[in-house]
Amino acid sequence: MSVATTAVATKPLRKRFNAGALPWIGPAIAVIVLMVLYPAYTMIKTSFMNIDETGTSHGFTGLSNYRTLFHNPNLVPVLERTLIWTVSVVFFTVIISLPVAQVLHAKFAGRRLVRYALIVPWAASVVMTSTSWLWILNGYYGVLNRIMLSLGLIKDQVQFLGSPTQSFAWLILVAVFVSVPFTTYVILAGLTTVGEDIMEASTVDGASGWQRYKHITFPLLRPALLISMVINLINVFNSFPIIWVMTTGGPGYSTDTTTTLAYKITFRSADIGQSASMATINFAIILVFIALFLKVSRWKEND
Amino acid sequence: MKKFTRVSAIAASLALGTSMAIGVTASHAAGTTLTMIAADYPGDGSTQQAQWTDFATRFHADNPDITVNVTVKSWNDIDQYVATQIAAGKTPDVVNKGDYSAPAAAGLLYPASQMVSASTLADILPTFLNNSKYNGTVYALPDLASARALFYNKDLLTKAGITTLPTTWAQLTTVLGTIHRKLPGVYGYALPLGPEEAQAEFNIWAGGNGGQYYDYATSKWVLNSAANVATATYLKSLVSKGYTEPNPDKCDRTACAQALFAAGKAVFINGSVFLGSWLKANGGAKINFGTGSFVSNTGHKAVTLGVQDYFTAYKANGNQAAIQKWMDFIFQPANYAKFLVAAGGFIPATKSAGAKAASDPALAPFIKLLPNAVFYPGDIASWNAVKGQIQQGIGQAVTGNPNSVLNSLQTQAAAAK
Repeated sequence: MSVATTAVATKPLRKRFNAGALPWIGPAIAVIVLMVLYPAYTMIKTSFMNIDETGTSHGFTGLSNYRTLFHNPNLVPVLERTLIWTVSVVFFTVIISLPVAQVLHAKFAGRRLVRYALIVPWAASVVMTSTSWLWILNGYYGVLNRIMLSLGLIKDQVQFLGSPTQSFAWLILVAVFVSVPFTTYVILAGLTTVGEDIMEASTVDGASGWQRYKHITFPLLRPALLISMVINLINVFNSFPIIWVMTTGGPGYSTDTTTTLAYKITFRSADIGQSASMATINFAIILVFIALFLKVSRWKEND
Repeated sequence: MKKFTRVSAIAASLALGTSMAIGVTASHAAGTTLTMIAADYPGDGSTQQAQWTDFATRFHADNPDITVNVTVKSWNDIDQYVATQIAAGKTPDVVNKGDYSAPAAAGLLYPASQMVSASTLADILPTFLNNSKYNGTVYALPDLASARALFYNKDLLTKAGITTLPTTWAQLTTVLGTIHRKLPGVYGYALPLGPEEAQAEFNIWAGGNGGQYYDYATSKWVLNSAANVATATYLKSLVSKGYTEPNPDKCDRTACAQALFAAGKAVFINGSVFLGSWLKANGGAKINFGTGSFVSNTGHKAVTLGVQDYFTAYKANGNQAAIQKWMDFIFQPANYAKFLVAAGGFIPATKSAGAKAASDPALAPFIKLLPNAVFYPGDIASWNAVKGQIQQGIGQAVTGNPNSVLNSLQTQAAAAK
């Protein structure tokens, strides 16, 4: 980071806006405006409008959509579940990725192959992965049932995705499964920045393996950890395909998060306005998350 | 070199802009273009796209000034697709799907009298037209209908030693108990109360107990009526005894219930007219099935569920004259017959085609049940929203507390716009 700062500082400061850059940044700005800002604006506007299920607008209605949403009996349980979902998926992902990255950092025969293998669940489409898991866990024909029956672990077929609690646990497991590769790679990149010389010096000073990890490697990994956590937090919070493919938020609304609830309010309960207000609140929550993490990460930089 | 790249960057951003402009402005050529969005009926892996393309081509040959573009969408996507098109200002001219009341209430539709000529309208069965009204005016044309029957696996019944079909709930409980004892691994009744079509399954059971979703006499939703609560309580007792598949609130009609029936793992199932052909296409060709009437609670008449779908015509593009020509073309007996064949063996909505269908051995048992058919309250503007809530929630009435689940659904239905 310090290298980059010096490089910028040695360049002459630009005093005025350079119009010559526009052709290059223009398309990027156009994409941001059209694909990010405009939809966000429309979403927030829609949340204050009365739109019937045919898509016809009947003008502004003030806060009535938000009032309906706050009276929705599913809102509070879904918010609680979204919190559990996000925190537990990110937590378990990091806890698993740290040692996995450490293993992949060590030199051993076939390391390249193992590293490639880890990319597979990441490269595969999430819908594909979720569909595979859906069939693995199928209560009638699933391979997990088959294996457990053959091993005598269970006496009768188990409906893994039947009860709300159990299916939610499986959803978390699958979400961790698809998040681990990315997180591992970010941490792995962080590990390569830890200098050999520091490690050697600490060994000479008589530090044990665990002491070296705790006092040198882990503190130096913080930037990489923070980045992977922010990105995971946003991804997991907004995650739609895993839940939708595996349980469609069911039974009932018992495995919905705010994202799938917003979808259901539009396309099942046919209430576009209420759904837009759910999406707007979702958007606000994610902005708070991002702001918090930007603050934390900057604080670490200045440290 | 530098100048060159700058020029090409400008060219690139211009190209981006123009391509978007083209996307927006491309529209009216000479003559009228009708857009139609149609749901894809076949459940056996085929699609109606070829049939609609053939209709559009032949229609254009007869009417060179009218071009029809038909987009065929799956049942899963069509509601969402139509709503998105309307919200984006690209309102279609004709839609073929399962509901009409919300756009009728919003004033978006031509009345049926303007959709087809008087002679075509006279050929459509009055029963079905009656179910297509909003505030007394017919706003949609029935395209076809289906009815349900109780399908049963004859071989499994023989194996369990059951010789008479149950007609009352009490008899059904006994029969299911016998199946449970004698045929381990087989579920007596496949109960699909998962989101796909929970509203249909529950409607049939409730109907057999005198229950319904909407009370026309008081103009109110009555989801938590005593009859409905009793129905859910009865179903819950079947579930808890293991007479149905576990977790009926997760069990969708196609992927779960029909699949169990096709695999010979369920004895009874509520099946539509097309279940026979679906079984053939989905690994259940060997299932030796029979069809009969549904079961009712003592003191009530057994009902079947009649489901009809609709053609609706939107006013937004002002193409009334062209729409009328196109709809008349679809309802010409020869074309309408092709439509029914492509859709896959449904009950026709016209008198002329209905006369022929009554002698069709595959359709006859269903047509026989039609006089006792109950229909969805499809003419109530909020039906689509309430249907969505029922699909999501009613399964939990048989796995959780029937009273509180139905009360919660009632509250949501009463609030639906």
